[in-house]
Amino acid sequence: MTTVEPIDRPSSRPTRRTVPDGRAIALAYRVVLRQLTSVGRIVALTLLALVSTIAGFALGAADADLDAAVRLISGLGFAVIVPVVALVFGGAAIGDLREDKTLVYLWLRPVNRWPLVVGAYLAALTLSAPITLIPLVTAAILTGTGGGIVSATLIAGVVALLAYNAVFTLLGIWLRRFIVWGLAYILIWEGFIALGGAGVARFAIRKYTRSILVDRTGVDLDLADFSMTTSIVVPLVVAVGAVAIGSWRLARQDVD
Amino acid sequence: MTALPPPPQPTASPLPPPVLAPAATVSALPALTGMIAVNDVSKFFGSVVAVSDVRFAIDGGVTALLGPNGAGKSTLFRMMCGLTPASRGTVRVLGADPRTDRDVRGRIALVPQQDALFDHLDAHGMVLIAAQTHGVDDPEGTARWALEQVDLTDVGDKPVGKFSKGMRQRVKVASALVNDPDVLILDEPLTGLDPVQRRRMIALFHRLGDAGRCVLVSSHVLDEVARLGSRVLVIAQGRLVATGDYRDLRALMDDRPLRIRLAVSDPRRMAAALVERGLATAVSVEAERLTLDTLDADALGRTVAPLAIELGVRLTEVSPLDDDLESVFRYLVEGR
Repeated sequence: MTTVEPIDRPSSRPTRRTVPDGRAIALAYRVVLRQLTSVGRIVALTLLALVSTIAGFALGAADADLDAAVRLISGLGFAVIVPVVALVFGGAAIGDLREDKTLVYLWLRPVNRWPLVVGAYLAALTLSAPITLIPLVTAAILTGTGGGIVSATLIAGVVALLAYNAVFTLLGIWLRRFIVWGLAYILIWEGFIALGGAGVARFAIRKYTRSILVDRTGVDLDLADFSMTTSIVVPLVVAVGAVAIGSWRLARQDVD
Repeated sequence: MTALPPPPQPTASPLPPPVLAPAATVSALPALTGMIAVNDVSKFFGSVVAVSDVRFAIDGGVTALLGPNGAGKSTLFRMMCGLTPASRGTVRVLGADPRTDRDVRGRIALVPQQDALFDHLDAHGMVLIAAQTHGVDDPEGTARWALEQVDLTDVGDKPVGKFSKGMRQRVKVASALVNDPDVLILDEPLTGLDPVQRRRMIALFHRLGDAGRCVLVSSHVLDEVARLGSRVLVIAQGRLVATGDYRDLRALMDDRPLRIRLAVSDPRRMAAALVERGLATAVSVEAERLTLDTLDADALGRTVAPLAIELGVRLTEVSPLDDDLESVFRYLVEGR
């Protein structure tokens, strides 16, 4: 084996080291957040989310009842806006790095894999949370149907964001066409198949957000009969599981 | 130049067309060791064989990996960096598996072929991220030092997305220097560089190699390889077809027939004179162009201009038609 000597650096040769997990999370978060922040993407998704605010205002102006308000938040906010925004940011968090071939600059480093996934996941959450939660909570307020729907929207929104972002981050790690598969999950699985019965519905995140809305408002929605605890814990377990699987997958990923 | 596959031959010679060696035969050979040790490695993408039974080991210094586009160079590099697993065989870098060993990843650096960078960052930011993700001491100072090595200290805060191809290449090389790697793998790093930068970059690679680093540089341009170093690995169609000294490769090239085109005012007269002097083994004439095969390109080069003067014909062009890498590979692999 050839002897390796220091080259003419300004300081002495750095000590070989690995990057601490916390530091790796922060670095991945910074890089991914900046990669995800595109004006066009943020404007388009904000406009989508604002549809719920406008609809909430319209309901409030028409003196609509709580039932109509909850159906708006559930049917538009938690069936379309939250999952779609989470898909765009969560899927792109690592999916975009794979696509543009910059993942190698994070992958080929002395870092564990899970901090990269956690950093990317947190970056997706950072962008998707304000874009969805502010318009949705504002919509709930504008319906003028009481405080229960506002707190329900906030809790369900946070739970949904944590779960959807994790699942779609995993999808972006695993699949090249994550947008197509993510839309298929949102529109076909959650929007169609999971409405077919209670057994199938338990495999849809949407069922848990609906259950939170029902628990906090008392409005009767189909396939929304989980307790508050179950409705919060199960999506959180899904989120942790998705991040764990994503980390496992990233370690075995082919990187361009 | 030593031809492959095994058994290794002591002198340079072209190989017969590649035949996939049975795994049992290959694995019977003792495992090679070195800073990079590639033992009987194959890589399949479905039914496509990207790399087939490649076996070599290299230590410190500069080694050139030569091969035409699509030969399997980048796939081989990706396996050496752990970016993709070998379908068969083993790759060891500094004695460890780069795909699973976290520590060894801190001692490798890769300049990937693809033109991908974090385009929103400026050069310093890009190199700084590399330093930070390697956990080096003083990442700011290290990033500045790395940029100095590639002459990119005065580019300001312009995003790398707006850089020229050559500048982007230099950013990639600077990013690869930050961890003071023991093994530096560079996939076509000279692409897009101007001649001055090429010279400086090659000098940098030699400096790293002289310091004991294992520097492996791929290229599909023969002239680049001449300046990169004397050690050459030649890969074609996913197989390692030759290893050894560049000068032997050059000599091997000189031994094969070369096709040359001359633009002359009287091609028939010139052709007759060259055949008479034994400098052309075959000729064809078309208008004012003469295409000939020669076994002694050096002698032809020395003779053709004086001969044109002697014959009183106007010579306006002398150009080799197959002095490209593909023709060398054809010769090495297929013997034609």
